[in-house]
Amino acid sequence: MAAAAIPPQARAKQLRACLLCSIIQTPVDFRRTGCPNCEELMQMKGSPDRIQMCTTTYFDGIIAVIDPENSWVARWQRTAKYVRGMYAVRVKGRIPEDVEAELESRGIKYRPRDQTDQD
Amino acid sequence: MSDDESHSRHAPSDPARYDEEEEEEEEEEVEQRRDSLKGKQRRREVEEEDEDDEEDEEDDEDEEDEGTSRGRKRQKRRHKRSAVNRFLDVEAEVNEEEEEEEEDEEYGGDEFIAEPGGEGEDEEGPRRSVHHARLDRRERELNDQDLARIAEDVSQRYKRSSIRYTGDMNEVPQRLLMPSVNDANLWQVRCKPGRERDIVFSLMRKAIDLEYSTRPLSILSAFQRDSLAGIIYVEARSQKQVSEACNGLVGVYPSRGINLVPIEEMASLLLIKKQDLTVAPGSWVRMKRGKYQGDLAQVMDITENGEEVGLKFIPRIDLNPKDEVAPDGKKRKKTGLAMSTGIRPPQRFFNYEEVVKVYGRKMVSKRNQVYVFQNDTYKDGFIEKDYKLNALVLENVNPTLDEITRFGKGQDGGEGENTVDLSIIAEASRKAAIAVLQPGDHVEVFEGEQSGVHGVVDSISQDIVTVNPVGVDLEGQKVQIPARSVRKRFKPGDHVKVMAGKNADETGLVVSVAGNVVTFLSDMSMQEVSVFSKDLREAAEVGAGTNIVGNYELHDLVQLDHQTVGVIFKTERDSFRVLDQNGQVRLVQPHQISMRRDSNKAIATDAENHELRINDNVKENDGEGRKGRVLHIHQSFFAFLHNRDIAENGGVFVTRARSLVSLAPKGNVMKPGADLSKMNPALSGGAMTGGMVGSGNMGRGPRDRLIGVVVKVIKGPHKGYDGTVKDTNGNIARVELQTGNKVITIEKDKLHRRNKDGSLEPLEAHRSMGPPRGMGGGGGGGYGGQNFGYQGSAGAGTPSWNRTTNPYANGGKTPTWNSSATPNPYSNADGGRTPGWNSMSSRTPGNPYAMQSKTPAWDSSAKTPNPYANTAGSWSPTGPSNSGWGGATPKPSSGWGGATPKPAATSAWGGSTPAPVSSGWGGATPGRSTNWGDIIDTWVRALFLWTEPSQSCLYTLEFCADPCFRCTNSDDCANSWSIWV
Repeated sequence: MAAAAIPPQARAKQLRACLLCSIIQTPVDFRRTGCPNCEELMQMKGSPDRIQMCTTTYFDGIIAVIDPENSWVARWQRTAKYVRGMYAVRVKGRIPEDVEAELESRGIKYRPRDQTDQD
Repeated sequence: MSDDESHSRHAPSDPARYDEEEEEEEEEEVEQRRDSLKGKQRRREVEEEDEDDEEDEEDDEDEEDEGTSRGRKRQKRRHKRSAVNRFLDVEAEVNEEEEEEEEDEEYGGDEFIAEPGGEGEDEEGPRRSVHHARLDRRERELNDQDLARIAEDVSQRYKRSSIRYTGDMNEVPQRLLMPSVNDANLWQVRCKPGRERDIVFSLMRKAIDLEYSTRPLSILSAFQRDSLAGIIYVEARSQKQVSEACNGLVGVYPSRGINLVPIEEMASLLLIKKQDLTVAPGSWVRMKRGKYQGDLAQVMDITENGEEVGLKFIPRIDLNPKDEVAPDGKKRKKTGLAMSTGIRPPQRFFNYEEVVKVYGRKMVSKRNQVYVFQNDTYKDGFIEKDYKLNALVLENVNPTLDEITRFGKGQDGGEGENTVDLSIIAEASRKAAIAVLQPGDHVEVFEGEQSGVHGVVDSISQDIVTVNPVGVDLEGQKVQIPARSVRKRFKPGDHVKVMAGKNADETGLVVSVAGNVVTFLSDMSMQEVSVFSKDLREAAEVGAGTNIVGNYELHDLVQLDHQTVGVIFKTERDSFRVLDQNGQVRLVQPHQISMRRDSNKAIATDAENHELRINDNVKENDGEGRKGRVLHIHQSFFAFLHNRDIAENGGVFVTRARSLVSLAPKGNVMKPGADLSKMNPALSGGAMTGGMVGSGNMGRGPRDRLIGVVVKVIKGPHKGYDGTVKDTNGNIARVELQTGNKVITIEKDKLHRRNKDGSLEPLEAHRSMGPPRGMGGGGGGGYGGQNFGYQGSAGAGTPSWNRTTNPYANGGKTPTWNSSATPNPYSNADGGRTPGWNSMSSRTPGNPYAMQSKTPAWDSSAKTPNPYANTAGSWSPTGPSNSGWGGATPKPSSGWGGATPKPAATSAWGGSTPAPVSSGWGGATPGRSTNWGDIIDTWVRALFLWTEPSQSCLYTLEFCADPCFRCTNSDDCANSWSIWV
């Protein structure tokens, strides 16, 4: 099963969470491999600037998603289809506008991860 | 140019990816400048662009290939071919064309063909034909291909490299994701606080490590919330799986229970929100730390991910750097130190000239409208800097009007630019505004659809306010409005009270309302005060303001420094206005006051030699002739008066006591030097209101009157020795023998007092003179009813009692006396006495014990040591009742009375005819009189101070702790003596 890079240290100050899929990785991992779930859109691989834009250190709560397919937590967080790895419960911020526009053009509803709009 | 571009694009990992469309356009431009062949190809590309995104990319790539190779090879060939050119056959050219399809070859061909034509002069013809041929062919080929198929290929290829993002059930509403019974459960596991994250990570790693082992972890997920310290949640099908997963992890306490989370609570665990801290441009924040700690800053912009904000605030530039003269080597160190330990420079707008003067022109550079100094940018006097969000305080910023005004003024320092955008501050304090609304408040809606509507708040539920509009059209129907959109409404003429802020508790009449700023005329200061409407309430009361700041209160006499005292005549928010004894007004902070002075018992003499006390109503007999009530007396010289009619200094003024005349004529004019009874507070009766309350008034007194008494040991091994009592404790005395300089401890009953004339008498006889004891001897109960008792005391001078020559001895010998040393009856009696004593201290006129310093008795019997004698005098106004003294308690009273055989004599006491009394008393207590006389002078006021009865020390006699006390005999004068049981 595909897995994200698990950050070696939980304390690491600059753990970053992807604004779109909420996965938590170190900036190094983001640069090396991009976001394991949404790299296609975020294009963070090798681009520190993009990483700055598309990820944040401002998140709350960490989930270790071990079995995304069967986990209710993952389903609730809408990460069930993603690779397993560390995810944030809440991520503050919105994805860059270009990504948002792209999502829209594909007909995918963008749900910010800051739990501002619940339905 | 195109070369560079294509190079950069070729590398897929290049950090700077341009927007593709843009690139396309650029490309187009370049392309157009190329020859016609290129133009044709371009057309094809444009067609293809319509296909698919992916195809675009393909095109790009194609072009990239073309571009790069083209550029590279073209250069190469140029050199090669031009040199070789003439030796080559034309055949080769043709061949090449047929075999190779690459464009670069074409270009090569161009040149190749062109060369022979003499430096391109003539190249047009052949070149064109070649190009056209190639183009045609190429077009044919392309047309042959199914464009759709190409697109598919491309998309296939890209699919492989990265998973196409499809979102994850993003259309499904959250509520449909609620857990069901089929889902695994959440289990709450306790862990070490602070280790939650590590444990979640550990679980993840553990799960991965054991994935292919024989015993993989079967938990589905684990998570932690920052707001729930010491707890992690594990998603698993059974508790066993959880404990297996947690087994061996450090910091997890499965032993403290693995608790199932009810299904209905599962979702909320993931929904916990910290209070949302949002910043918007224009909002106010404060710095958490550093040089600008606590400073207000305004948000200018926010980075897209919301982590950093650009702030604008007033800089603190050190214009007096300490290291100016220091040698270069030390310079750096010093700056570091100054930053960390030194006082931070004041807030000040950036001023180019000033900074240049201090730091030199080199340090400041100017770009456009912006100065750059020490890596910070300054604009319009403000510093503009990016801060991390977590270095800022976003909540409860509460910018004050002052701060914001400062911001508004900007560098120009209030150049008439009073256009403070108060909506900003209103915005900042909106949240607070919600909290201050109450049903019944008049509000108006200032934004939104209902803007302009005003009405009365009907109810508030969370952020929604229900308003009963008072408008025309909406009258009668309730409107629900977000609380943030309403503000309190006041109109000129309203009487309001400030609920919060610097002006809290001020009240006044509204004179003008501008937006959310209300200006009112303060009831207290009669000045206009502007406050936010949110801080106001309508109030009928007239605010008295706070009269108490810290421990100090209005009209307190306070010590400012060694020489200065003053009276607080105005309290402000956190400071006082104090009028000192020299008539100067000072603004002092509570911490500048060293202590509060108590002048309750201070006395001065007025112009007519009357006694002057606080609360007396007096008038100046010189100067302005001001009237007033005495607030305080300082050093018997200065009198602080208060008169409401005087506006200045809150009606408080200071004058010399000697220039005052009492307004209320007093009958008891003091006869110079003689009649001190008039000074007796007990005498002045109702005029005296303050009263000596509490222990603070207590004067000094002997610890034990036996101390210092010359005694002779009459029993035991030391029999016959003379000595002086040094200390007593219960019935034990420590006696310093005159011989051998030795201190012995001995029972009191083995001692006899040696009188001046050499006669001996039992010690206790004298002790009984201590009125409290003596009284006690009579029976504790007697004290409670002292007042009555005294009336009866007239009768106390019953002949029978009088006849007993030494009543004290009698009293002393009563069994009760003996027992006095023991805690039993006497202590009871003492207890019973307590109220009586208190009442004494409170100067109830009738109370004999309320002996006052100036009781005539003191004067008369000036040398009579017994303070009680004084007291005797103090209640003298009713002559007979003096004798009553002991009368309260039959025995001792008789004792007292006995001292003065005739009731007449007692009256004499009261009559303040000193001679008889003193003689009488002196006779009664021959030995002690000397001692006492030394200590006491006319100014002494004797008071009983009831100390903790816990030990053997029952009470302390204090002689006037007031500063006016002048003790003539400092050698012998112990300040406080206790009377021991």
